[in-house]
Amino acid sequence: MNRIFQWFDERTGLSGPVRDFLNYPVPKYVHRNFLYTLGGLTLISFLIQVVTGILMAFYYDPSTEGAYNSVDYISYQLPLGWLIRGVHHYASSAMVILVSLHMLRTYYFSAYKKPRELNWLTGVLLFFLVLSFGFTGYLLPWDQKGYWATKVGTEIAGSVPLIGSFLMHLMRGGDMLGQATLTRFYAGHILLLPASVAVLIVAHIFQMRFHGMAPAITKKAQAQSKIFVPFFPDWAITDTLCGLGLLALLVYMTWANHAPLEFPADPTSNNYVPRPEWYFLFYFQLLKYFPGALEPVATILIPLFIFGSMVLLPFVDLSEERRPWRKPVTTLVSIFYIIVIVVFTILAMAAYA
Amino acid sequence: MAAPKLPPLPAEKGVWDEHVIDRRRFLEAALGVLAGIGGLLVAVPGARFLIGNSLEPSATKWVELGKIADLPVAAVTQVSYSTRATDAWREVNQRGTVYVSSADGGATFTVLDGTCTHLGCIVQWNEGDSRFVCPCHSGHFTREGEVIDGPPPHRLRQLAVKVQDGALFAEI
Repeated sequence: MNRIFQWFDERTGLSGPVRDFLNYPVPKYVHRNFLYTLGGLTLISFLIQVVTGILMAFYYDPSTEGAYNSVDYISYQLPLGWLIRGVHHYASSAMVILVSLHMLRTYYFSAYKKPRELNWLTGVLLFFLVLSFGFTGYLLPWDQKGYWATKVGTEIAGSVPLIGSFLMHLMRGGDMLGQATLTRFYAGHILLLPASVAVLIVAHIFQMRFHGMAPAITKKAQAQSKIFVPFFPDWAITDTLCGLGLLALLVYMTWANHAPLEFPADPTSNNYVPRPEWYFLFYFQLLKYFPGALEPVATILIPLFIFGSMVLLPFVDLSEERRPWRKPVTTLVSIFYIIVIVVFTILAMAAYA
Repeated sequence: MAAPKLPPLPAEKGVWDEHVIDRRRFLEAALGVLAGIGGLLVAVPGARFLIGNSLEPSATKWVELGKIADLPVAAVTQVSYSTRATDAWREVNQRGTVYVSSADGGATFTVLDGTCTHLGCIVQWNEGDSRFVCPCHSGHFTREGEVIDGPPPHRLRQLAVKVQDGALFAEI
């Protein structure tokens, strides 16, 4: 065994970098806090999506005439098709939840501050790419939900002043939702987005390793900040256990409630109320409050403002203070946003109940 | 940056300009230019390819909505049409919903595209309130398609119509 290992190492030179990677010192205060598993869990949910997505690509037919039937076939006729598609469906929600919680953890621990600004920025981009995954993914079954949510979604892009029409046509691949739209969303969902996310994840992890964990914020954690455990096996086993727990939860959710598939897309139906995925509901609700000429406020100004403030955060909040209870402005702003999102989501759910 | 290796000038003559380009600096600049050209060679055709034909307006066509004799003249009638159309590289049945009404007892007809001008859902005709209502964000329109209430930025699109051989056609 040792000789085989040596043979490979002489030819690849990998043992050094791999050993460094595995022996990476993780502070003990991090190892003891489950909040630090959120990033790794997001990565694991991405890997689950890659595996289940590749499996489904063996059967999925990206055409307006065949997409629905192929998804129906995957869901109801293929052995374990319900499981693969179901886990992919629920893991997409899990990914949104995990990446949001991971961001909140980073936010409250002030881990975006110098010198970790770029790590925060790659994280912000990854967050929006995860949402783009959701948006491009649910058109693919070409059912009522996907069709109408995409119609509304692309119309939202169309309401952007000056370049709206260009954006909408670019997204749709033409005037109307059709074959070109489906192919675009498919290529984006299975090629462009995964490749972009993979590159950003590598950059994100590389930066995290380069700077190390952000300083601890509590006295108890600070007391342990000079004690380390190796990434492998100590930390890796924590991530693995959490990942297995996540997978078990996704399988259970799929088993309890198979992934939904609505009726085939019908462009003539006038009684279908489009509902986006739950994580876009608050935004859907927001649109109701900006009638007529004010529409671009909700469709472009508010999203741009939120994206802009996330990007600018590490360059605006320059204080040394890292404890959220000593930083009332950033803490209250985040609580305000959380309340708005929760209340709007509940209002939207009530409206569609 | 290494200074160019040139024999020194006689002191009374002066000195070489410190910006005289050396080989390395030239190669760096040349590499930058070549990489830029390479990038543009990929990006410009790539972007044009991706935009493709997406900006071309789809061709309109006259679609038969029904025989005049069969259309109720007093009411607003929902008509779902289906017509063969080219969708990118595919021949499909293009389907949609329009609303047909007449204000003068059937002498002329108004055909409204059922697509809400807010975010594209299909509006419903509410006979009781005599108005169109969008199920998505509660946009309200008059029988003629004007906005009464809600978020729609402008009126429902009115389609060109013609009568031919006793049938009503709309330009879709």
